[in-house]
Amino acid sequence: MNTSNYESEFEKLLRRDYFSPKINPQRKNAFEEFLKKNLSKKVWDNLRFTNLSALKKNVFRISENFDAPHKNFKYPESVTEDNYKIVFNNGHYQKQLTNLPEGIKVLTNLEYYDDHKNKVGQPSSSPFDLLNTAFMDSGMSLVVKKNINIKSPILLVFINAGKDQLMISPRIHIDIGKSSSISLIEHHIGFGTGNFSNSTTIFSLKENSYCKHIRLQKDSDQAINAGNIHIEQEKYSKYYLSHFGFGSNLGSIGLNSDLNGQGAECHLSGLGLANSHQHLDTHILINHKSSNCISSQNFKTVLKDYSSGVFNGKVVVSKDAQKTDSSQSNKNILLSKNARMNSNPQLVINADDVKCSHGSSTGEIDQDALFYLRSRGINDKTAKSILIHGFISEIFESVNSPEIINFIKSDFDRWIES
Amino acid sequence: MLEIKNLHAEVKNKPILKGIDLNIQKGEIHAIMGKNGSGKSTLSNIITGKDGYNVTKGDIKFKNESIVEWTPEKRSLHGIFMSFQYPVVMPGVNNTYFLKAALNAKRKYNGQKEMDAAGFLKKIKEKLQELEMDSSYLQRAVNDGFSGGEKKRNEILQMLTLKPSLSILDETDSGLDIDALKIISDGVNRYKSPKRSFLIITHYQRLLEYIEPDIVHVLIDGKIVKSGTKELALQLEEKGYGWLEK
Repeated sequence: MNTSNYESEFEKLLRRDYFSPKINPQRKNAFEEFLKKNLSKKVWDNLRFTNLSALKKNVFRISENFDAPHKNFKYPESVTEDNYKIVFNNGHYQKQLTNLPEGIKVLTNLEYYDDHKNKVGQPSSSPFDLLNTAFMDSGMSLVVKKNINIKSPILLVFINAGKDQLMISPRIHIDIGKSSSISLIEHHIGFGTGNFSNSTTIFSLKENSYCKHIRLQKDSDQAINAGNIHIEQEKYSKYYLSHFGFGSNLGSIGLNSDLNGQGAECHLSGLGLANSHQHLDTHILINHKSSNCISSQNFKTVLKDYSSGVFNGKVVVSKDAQKTDSSQSNKNILLSKNARMNSNPQLVINADDVKCSHGSSTGEIDQDALFYLRSRGINDKTAKSILIHGFISEIFESVNSPEIINFIKSDFDRWIES
Repeated sequence: MLEIKNLHAEVKNKPILKGIDLNIQKGEIHAIMGKNGSGKSTLSNIITGKDGYNVTKGDIKFKNESIVEWTPEKRSLHGIFMSFQYPVVMPGVNNTYFLKAALNAKRKYNGQKEMDAAGFLKKIKEKLQELEMDSSYLQRAVNDGFSGGEKKRNEILQMLTLKPSLSILDETDSGLDIDALKIISDGVNRYKSPKRSFLIITHYQRLLEYIEPDIVHVLIDGKIVKSGTKELALQLEEKGYGWLEK
């Protein structure tokens, strides 16, 4: 793999002045590791069914502060009306557009790093993680104080637009204080031509805190969109994710959760819809490190045309994590003979008193069910649509908000009709 | 109503039906009895148009039109209905949504205005009562977690909603206790009319005690070997099928 483009952009980045040079050693470490491992499928076993050619061939340019959308840019329709908002343009946090409730502090990453005396862990579980650390933009950190309960969702909008092939690397830290709760809607919208949006979000959930996270990935159909989510959970904290991967040409989501304190819960669900030559990846690693923790994974994919998908879900139960309760399910429907899915649920159990289940299925639409509907006078096309709606409804239900469900469903309906 | 002439059909190149003649007039109730593997379910699947069944000879006419090339939905819209032996479970597909979609497909086909949610609910609740079904049923997913009896009642509910002119009841009595059997037969008997016909497919004579057939046919190895009145069903109950086999 020729890495000269990445190298020249990295040199350029080091000369940039809007993030602290104090973190340059961390950037350099990550970039060196990336150069060493590059995108080798021997090193990154999880990516062996993923077509990474766009990452190898495309000539990306790092996103600069001036890479904001055009003045007359019309912000797209919002997911919800009554909410708090944070906006990123091509990876750059737009302070002037921020609207947040009391009890939440917004820090620049520079401030966040200063607060932590630059001792901030840098994830390295994928090449996307390494590239994010190497190239991270100024980013943003949300710090929720303790005992704060925010009911309305906070919308994080990532708008990727522009003519160049931009490399956009937002880095976000979200710390949720003891016994606080928030809900986030992370919405990625793309109008660019082949941008590479690679965001890393690091959650820290303190004792008894709660986070509901919805991620809608609707990047442009030529884009690469990687979302790397790392969650550190203290005891009795709860994290819920509902992910909807609709956009991009290559969409990848990496979820890494460490259940560090007893009784912590991590519930992940996701839906991927792919058509044309689109490829969607889901990589999950849940580490049960303490006792009485609960984790669940429920991921579904519907694939059309020549699209493909990967599900790698792994649960590791350490020897001290007794009374672990973990479930894992991946189900996929192939609507075309040329669509492909690789599903790989894995369990590594080192404790003896645990309840763990996993299952995976991939197939065509159920022909008996299709006939049943048609025998009631419902035409073939509508019948298929009803069955796919039924298949994915579980994931919609995980959202638990009619307003947001309607918003997502309208996308889904268009997708099905196309 | 239904006219089947010298029907030959195969599944995966294996001949199953070997020359069936059957003529059901308006208002008639016919029963087809036969052992497992005699071709009973193949016959009902062919009439309703399921994929994978190949008609090699003969014809099926419904209201004087050949339907062999028709899609399952077209057959349904023209008035053919089958109560499935094994109703399909559809997780995530809401019963109300499904029934309303089916009813409105039919109304649209008949040039009627589609029914709105309120009108539909009113209509469906009356029918639920008739079949002694709880209204919570409407919120559930189609056949998901239903008992055997609930599934069969759901089939009859669909029949009452879609108002077909030919209803095929495929092993509707299997897996039913006496109470459920009685509720279902009462529903069917109320639905009977001089304009509506039925084809009842069954193993046993039991259902025919509740829904009285005009003509009983015996199907053995893909052929109707004997037809008669309902007494034939009693004879079969007593003597089995052996005396009719060659």
